[in-house]
Amino acid sequence: MSGDPKNKAAEEELRLPFEDEPAGGTGKRDAAGLVIAVALFALAAVIVNDASGYTIRRSYARFGPEIVPYVIASGITILAVITVIMAWRGQFEARDRLNIGGLSWLVGGILVEIVMLYGGTGFIAGSAVLFACAARAFGQATLLLNLAIGAVLSTLLFLLFRYGLGLSLPSGPLERAIDLLVR
Amino acid sequence: MDTFILLFDGLGTAMQPMNLMFALLGVMLGTAVGVMPGIGPALTVALLLPVSLSFGATGSMIMFAGIYYGGMYGGAISSILLNTPGETASIMTALEGNRMAKRGRGGKALGAAAFGSFFGGMFATLGLAIVAPFMVMVALSFGTAEYFALMVLSFMTVSAAFGGSMSRGLTALFIGLTIGIVGTDKLTGQVRLAFGIPEMSDNISIAIVAVGLFAIGETMYLASQHINHKTKAQAVSGSVWLNWSDFKRCIRPYIRGTGLGFLFGPLPTGGAEIPTFLSYTTEKRLATGEARREFDEGLGAIEGVAGPEAANNASAAGTLIPLLTLGLPTSATAAMMLAGFQQYGLQPGPLLFTNNAELVWGLVASLFIANLMLVVLNVPFIGIWVKLLTIPRPWLYAGILTFATLGIVGAQGSPFALVLLLGFGLVGFVMRRFGYPLAPALVGAILGPLAEEQLRRGLMINQGDWWFLLNSNIALTIYAIALLSIFGPRLWSFTRKAIRQNKGAHS
Repeated sequence: MSGDPKNKAAEEELRLPFEDEPAGGTGKRDAAGLVIAVALFALAAVIVNDASGYTIRRSYARFGPEIVPYVIASGITILAVITVIMAWRGQFEARDRLNIGGLSWLVGGILVEIVMLYGGTGFIAGSAVLFACAARAFGQATLLLNLAIGAVLSTLLFLLFRYGLGLSLPSGPLERAIDLLVR
Repeated sequence: MDTFILLFDGLGTAMQPMNLMFALLGVMLGTAVGVMPGIGPALTVALLLPVSLSFGATGSMIMFAGIYYGGMYGGAISSILLNTPGETASIMTALEGNRMAKRGRGGKALGAAAFGSFFGGMFATLGLAIVAPFMVMVALSFGTAEYFALMVLSFMTVSAAFGGSMSRGLTALFIGLTIGIVGTDKLTGQVRLAFGIPEMSDNISIAIVAVGLFAIGETMYLASQHINHKTKAQAVSGSVWLNWSDFKRCIRPYIRGTGLGFLFGPLPTGGAEIPTFLSYTTEKRLATGEARREFDEGLGAIEGVAGPEAANNASAAGTLIPLLTLGLPTSATAAMMLAGFQQYGLQPGPLLFTNNAELVWGLVASLFIANLMLVVLNVPFIGIWVKLLTIPRPWLYAGILTFATLGIVGAQGSPFALVLLLGFGLVGFVMRRFGYPLAPALVGAILGPLAEEQLRRGLMINQGDWWFLLNSNIALTIYAIALLSIFGPRLWSFTRKAIRQNKGAHS
């Protein structure tokens, strides 16, 4: 291999998508990877537990609805073992530092919308809040402006989908008022 | 020629005013999302899955195909002007395209890309119309064993080709398969993995899975990064119209790119990445004279834009061959389109051509119309799309998220759908962060239940004897192809490395 950095960059560019397997990896033990492996083991256990409770039926197939879940659970178990090895050897690529602030604004926004929809505030209010939080998550700190834009956007979307396409969206006071006005 | 009569009838379907409108809507949406970095055609189709239920089967499929083609056109714009490809298919376009834009030849690059997309799209669609009926004839002889083998092929190759690592691809696939078994078993009525939740016992809608993994997961991933979401685009400089000498330089790359795209599109290797890559390297290798200098000195060669852009549109058409004739998706967008068909109770495959000939040929014919629309939208009206790049990113992503939740809540009519959506979003985010590819999960969730049905039906016919799976030469051939497609590339890269090391030792 030539040591010319320019050539090296070109080589880098020309790798096929599946060729980068051995290249990455931090080489350090990866706790987060081990957590993934544990989650996979748990998933397999849940599947097996569920499948063992199915009512037994006698049929020509000799195999019922439990066979595929068992196959999938064994596959996941094998892959979980591989994940443990990968995490132990540090074969996961290095990850960027997590922007916890941005992520929490986003997840929080969705959670608030869920709570608001269950609480009966209606689609428009819930979506406006989600819009504001999501924009904040991407660094737009003007919450009130975000909220205003979100309200306009979700009202437009509501009108389009409720009356244009006939989707049933969760209604709150605002939506009922619009319904009365339109009728 | 039967094909051309059918295609002509299809043209009648496609020319109906409503269908023309759906095609126009599709190509405009497709171009718009292709332009915006971070949103690809797969994501757009996912977002529109729930709301398209009121459009009718033909209309929404025409729209989805328009989005697919439009995304390939639009992706070139952000690649060239921003150097951030809108989707994986335009990564190769960014290499030479952005260099051209920086040197004041952005217009030429955009023109070469648009005409390349047109060329690739037109000829590959023609190829699709010619090849599909033959594939249907072959597919009609397939039984349960062959179909099961085809699905295994699809599972294996989709896991091997997407992303870097095979084990992570397979893990993603098995997560998808698990999602696929949630709900009521079709053959026995047994409820599986529903934990007593009524919304889960009648099967999770694939739209929730798709939007959750792709849209929500992707936006979470973007929000979790420490990057400035405000980057500047290069202005369009120079005319987008190609003159005769540009055209002479482009025509060969167009032909080669179209060939590669059409050849690789139908193979289950994950859509456009490989053909665009091969097209780029071919052009780079074959370049002489002026082009050679531009490639070598990093000035941006028009051939490096023309080839890959023809290839990615041709591969989009190629992808539709296995999707329509066998019901096998070979790219993420094709998987979304398969979900779209299933939404209407339609199963793509040879029977679709006999039972829903109007839909299939209307769809194929509309692809020609979509291509014509796209070249008009992308050459004289290029300025409008470039404007889209100026929407502030935070509001853009917030709007996508709002739209995603709207579609899901509207189609399901219950806030619980949002809980599931958030759950899949978190799964998608973790997968994205740890380098797991998302496409296998989606393909697993969509094809898993179909594969299970074939397997258990086969077991029923053969009274529980598993050997029926290997009792067919066609099935065995398909398994051989599956093994080859997994180990072939690895073998190839291994030998290439060995050769390279050898060379290094000699020099």
